Amino acid sequence: MNREDGETDRRRRFGVLCESLRPDLLRFAFWLGRDRQLAEDVVQEAMLRAWKSFDALEDEERAKPWFLTIVRREFARSFERKRLPLADLDLLVTTEAEVLAAEDDEQLAAMRQALFRLDDEYREPLVLQVMMGYSTKEIAAMMGLQQGAVLTRLFRARARLRQELGLAPEPAP
Amino acid sequence: MMNCLDFRRQVGAEPAAGGPEFDAHRRECAACARHQDELRALDGLIARALAVDPARIRRPAAGAGGGPATRRRYFAIAASIVVGLSVGLVLLVSAPRASIAREVVDHVVHEPGTMNLLVPVAAGALAGVLDPEGTRLRPGIGDVTFAARCVHQGHVVPHLVVRMPEGAVTVLLLRHREIDEPVQIAEQGLEGVVFPAPRGSIAIVGQGLKDPARVAQKVFEAVDWGV
Repeated sequence: MNREDGETDRRRRFGVLCESLRPDLLRFAFWLGRDRQLAEDVVQEAMLRAWKSFDALEDEERAKPWFLTIVRREFARSFERKRLPLADLDLLVTTEAEVLAAEDDEQLAAMRQALFRLDDEYREPLVLQVMMGYSTKEIAAMMGLQQGAVLTRLFRARARLRQELGLAPEPAP
Repeated sequence: MMNCLDFRRQVGAEPAAGGPEFDAHRRECAACARHQDELRALDGLIARALAVDPARIRRPAAGAGGGPATRRRYFAIAASIVVGLSVGLVLLVSAPRASIAREVVDHVVHEPGTMNLLVPVAAGALAGVLDPEGTRLRPGIGDVTFAARCVHQGHVVPHLVVRMPEGAVTVLLLRHREIDEPVQIAEQGLEGVVFPAPRGSIAIVGQGLKDPARVAQKVFEAVDWGV
């Protein structure tokens, strides 16, 4: 394969990965930051960084966690760079109402709002577990936490959601 | 042997937890089994809730760049570029704008075969390329003989070739590239312009076009941005 063919192949492979992963990366970035514009910006920048370091990805089977790590880092960079202010939660819910809406499904809409209102430290591991399908061990590695801490956060996340949705509290053993 | 407290601590964090110990406790304690089933159902609802439509995330918030005022602004830009290019005005090109022109030229030059195709692409294929951007091409502009989503500077962008009466024209929708003013392209035999667009920018280039400014305006007006 000559140099030009190699470059074409590299672009094709990257393009295929981007297309397949982009929807989940966008969803992840949205639930991380609770802001669609920020989500879009973060994913765009992350894609550019990923392209520049694509040769560092040794195993394309591991592309998803690799991209997620880049998105998380880009998100942290955005916060640092832009010094994003702490947003009023009610205002966020209103601003992002279009994304949170679930036509004809009140329970779904209520769950979206409850997830939106979860503290960052509970929401992120829950998204990684339920939406992305990662184990608690993998989540701990991604977030730089002990596995026990991840388990605690996931437990509390679900307890908060049950409370927010007015579900029966956990039955006493 | 697992007790109820341990069981509920674990399934509270991992509702899908299973295995011999869990199964044994479920058989012994109907309340715990019911609790795990409720948590699994809750996770089903959480998963559905998290699976928001990416198109909704990509759509700009109301008042953040859409609406009739935005459309008028972009048509005004399109009209002004016709005048500017027609009288040979050279736009002051700062380093960032020069780079966007070069990036577009490099992309087109790198894929020369796309300009020589003659068979129109199927409507479904075109939709597959444009739908993720929330855009479409209004009919009547010409046959689209090439449509693909290509990697461009680390981003996946729609790349079209439209066969117009004036000649074959390459169109790149560069959502990731915001520019404030149009940038003229005139290098390596390619002529055209990069316009600001409701989402990012749009590059329109061709070879040997008689009236590149007019062609660029027609293409720009043919894109339905969905705003």
